[in-house]
Amino acid sequence: MDFAKKIIKSTEEIFSTMIFMEISAAEPLTEGKEILDCHVSAMIGLSGDFSSMLGIHCPGKIGMAITGEMLGMEVKEVDADVKDTLGEIANMVAGGVKEAFAAEDINLELSIPTTVTGKSYTVSSPTRSNRVIIPFDLEQGRFFVEIKYSLK
Amino acid sequence: MDHVQRITESTQEIFSSMIMLEVTPGEPYKRNKSMLRGSISGIIGLTGSIKGLLAIHLPKQTALEVTTAFLGMDVTEIDEDVRDAIGELANMLGGSLKAALDPKGSGIQLSMPTAIYGDEYSIDCIATAEEITVPFELSGNTFLVELQIDPNG
Repeated sequence: MDFAKKIIKSTEEIFSTMIFMEISAAEPLTEGKEILDCHVSAMIGLSGDFSSMLGIHCPGKIGMAITGEMLGMEVKEVDADVKDTLGEIANMVAGGVKEAFAAEDINLELSIPTTVTGKSYTVSSPTRSNRVIIPFDLEQGRFFVEIKYSLK
Repeated sequence: MDHVQRITESTQEIFSSMIMLEVTPGEPYKRNKSMLRGSISGIIGLTGSIKGLLAIHLPKQTALEVTTAFLGMDVTEIDEDVRDAIGELANMLGGSLKAALDPKGSGIQLSMPTAIYGDEYSIDCIATAEEITVPFELSGNTFLVELQIDPNG
């Protein structure tokens, strides 16, 4: 099922065709301590042939840089534009992952995206679930795309 | 039956049958992106004929009380057990609400639950989502059950 490959392909495609930013994927992680430094997260649920949650986590300045690039304007704080943009990116990345699974005859549906922002928060999935985290590097720093899933 | 009634009945049912605690509903309102402080939230996505998100937001003290009752063991800090229990609570509420929204049982599916915990954070949905929040009282504290539905399906 190769989750890492599908996430990398979908994320790279969205960034190159919709946001026009160069990103490069680093080695997948299975634990997410680095995510603790992130102050903006966007998550979207997937369900169907398996149940899952996809999340994008980034430090505030990376969220602002991506939003600025996508909207073509300067962004100075983690505001509603940043939340909407990250939510929309989570939606698009999950859409790409859904299509990649559909090609293997594995069917999924998406929920609506949710954003979490704050000075300090942790995001955790059920301890029994599987987790893949892909770090992506761009000029301004690093962000993470995470997928948690449990096969039925 | 409207969404407020479904949320109320599902929440009361899960609390009384699974956690053995009685909770009292208050007046529903719109949470309007207010910050959550010293809380833990369990969220779960709904997909299919209704696209949305179900969230339960509990103050730390209430989360400890609920987890203690649910697991039948004394819990004094927000650890992995509590985060798992609150995720599972969102999952059970999602299951109950799903049955109420879709009695035939084929149109709505649940994603994986996630727990979010922190001193100060905000959880927002897409701007166009229809939002209903019902507060419940438990031992003098208030927790919230929130349903967000995408009006465009």
